[in-house]
Amino acid sequence: MSWRYVFSFVACLATGLLLTPLAAADDNQTTELRQQIVALLSNPDREFRAAGLDQIRTGVKGTEHTQFFASQLAKLPPDGQVALLGALADRGDAAARPAVLTLLKSGQNEAVRVAAIAALGKLGDASDLPTLIGLLSAQADAERNAARSSLVRLGGPTVSADIAAATAKAPPSEKVTLLEVLASRRARGQVKTIITASTDDNAQVRMAAMSALGRVGQPEQLGEMIPGVLKAEKGGERDAAERNVAQVCAKIENEDQRGEALIKAVEQAGKEQSDQFLSLIGRVGGKKLIDYVAGIATGPDTARRKLGIDALSKWPNSSVADKLLEITKNATDAAERNQAFQGFVKIGATRDNRNDQQRLERMRQAMDIAKTPEERALVINRTRTSYSVEAVRFVLPYVEKEEFAQIACETLVEISHHREVRDRNKAEFDKVLDKIIATSKDAVVIDRAGRYKRGETWTRPKAE
Amino acid sequence: MPLDDAFQALKTYDWGTDRAPVTPITEAVAAAQSNAEARQDLESRLLAALSSDISRDAKDFVCRMLTIVGSTAAISALAALLPDEQLSHMARYALERITGPEASQALRDALPKLAGKLKLGAIGSLGVRRDSASVSALANLLKDADPAVARAAAQALGLIGTPAAAHALLQAQPAAPLQAAVTDATLACAEAILAANDPATALKIYQTLAADTQPRLVRLAATRGQLACAARTA
Repeated sequence: MSWRYVFSFVACLATGLLLTPLAAADDNQTTELRQQIVALLSNPDREFRAAGLDQIRTGVKGTEHTQFFASQLAKLPPDGQVALLGALADRGDAAARPAVLTLLKSGQNEAVRVAAIAALGKLGDASDLPTLIGLLSAQADAERNAARSSLVRLGGPTVSADIAAATAKAPPSEKVTLLEVLASRRARGQVKTIITASTDDNAQVRMAAMSALGRVGQPEQLGEMIPGVLKAEKGGERDAAERNVAQVCAKIENEDQRGEALIKAVEQAGKEQSDQFLSLIGRVGGKKLIDYVAGIATGPDTARRKLGIDALSKWPNSSVADKLLEITKNATDAAERNQAFQGFVKIGATRDNRNDQQRLERMRQAMDIAKTPEERALVINRTRTSYSVEAVRFVLPYVEKEEFAQIACETLVEISHHREVRDRNKAEFDKVLDKIIATSKDAVVIDRAGRYKRGETWTRPKAE
Repeated sequence: MPLDDAFQALKTYDWGTDRAPVTPITEAVAAAQSNAEARQDLESRLLAALSSDISRDAKDFVCRMLTIVGSTAAISALAALLPDEQLSHMARYALERITGPEASQALRDALPKLAGKLKLGAIGSLGVRRDSASVSALANLLKDADPAVARAAAQALGLIGTPAAAHALLQAQPAAPLQAAVTDATLACAEAILAANDPATALKIYQTLAADTQPRLVRLAATRGQLACAARTA
């Protein structure tokens, strides 16, 4: 602290000069108080240090002061350097950048290096890209993460374009990170680079590129995303690629326009490839696409019908339920019928914007056309998505049938889990729960039934 | 005239009676906001009511109305209520809001005649009025034998928040139990002075309070204050 003023003030008190207005402070105050801020940085009391850092963040404006504060970096212990780097970064004056770079180049302490890398994100410019990109291969996780965050944050008119140029030349592991950076920067102007990477020979690069396109891609790029879907390996990568295309489709608000855009994009890939996109079409949904897929699901080609039914079964809502019911009823091939039946039950039980009665009605329809015990068991199982006393009444008779008793008990206890349904019909549920306790052979189901009867709750154990 | 009827009703107005009959007065006071003549007329009628033999609740109501339409013409009537145990606080409430030095003078003049809570109230009102002319009177009260009076004076000086108020607080040599109130008021002065764009003066106050002899939290507040001054001058 500045003792000069304390002493002069005390002297003033002694001589009574303070009976007149206090004199204005001279210009040296700024310099002295700047020193005081610096002194606070080494104060053993963290709140005093915070007071000094806060001033560096938001007060004492000006490049000269920034340089002065930055020059203190070299004089502080590591924890002080970390704190000052953070404050200088928040101050946002690029005048501190050279000192930050110097510290980064000479610093051995990991926390200091991480803080310096983070500060570069706020204070740096395009010329820092090589440094930050190089740090993506740093040994320490924290340094790599800080470099990635700084690349996302780094400002400047050419930075995104420069990152895109670096992405094209980078080795696969670095390319993956840079694609994520471009997506996080919402670098829509660099979408060409990302599209190119979406058909890279390296699966990790392709997945990163498709994920980036899902985030920054626009409907105009749908056609250019399709080769990425085709190149993706079937399984996890293909699923992820389809989800990313669906994400871009979702940016088109109008359902019909969404369907048209996807059909147009898919057809660009050629008719012979179009069946590969039925699953994708199923994910996107919409009336236009139902007709497109239903035509294939009921067409003359057996293999294509299978793909069509699979696509309808993946529909994001229940709008295809009637179509699947129709296919189930009319199918002549047993396997095809079974596939359509399973799809109908899955879609009919989906908890979308329909109410519990509508879901239950679909399960009644499914039970009417179920032919085997397995199909009936599936319907009993999926009725659990209808949280209603009517669903309980629908399932309860199956408790009496030995082959369905256990799955029926399981479904009933699941519906009973919903207190808002259970409490409104307590007397009826109590009888059902007694029946479950008497019938079930599953200790967990019996325990749950007992808890619900006592008005207690039950927490599903977390999967290991 | 509903207003005449309302003033008539005021004569019998008391705790627990229906407030509706006097509501026209409230409405007239609100409506007179930008009509000087109407305000003056209402003030005259309210003062006449105040000097008449109406209930305590009616006088309380009149004082509340005078907080809005009261002027220097109301000061003597309100000042006369300051020693009244029941109406002193409502009279201060009205006096606090009357512009001009006369209301402060009335409060200052009343100080020697008041004791206990009523005195504390008058001191507080001088603080609320931020009356710089009261600094000297309040500074004398910092030495009062009654610690409550000395504490109220310190708080009032803090509210006044001028360099002179700060000076009075810094010169005081309070007993230990009063030290915290004086320090708090001094910090309040420094903040007010800084807010009034006089960082140099505020800085000197903060520097005094940042001395190592001060408690940690006072030093921390003073340090933050010094830094705020630096930000203004840099």
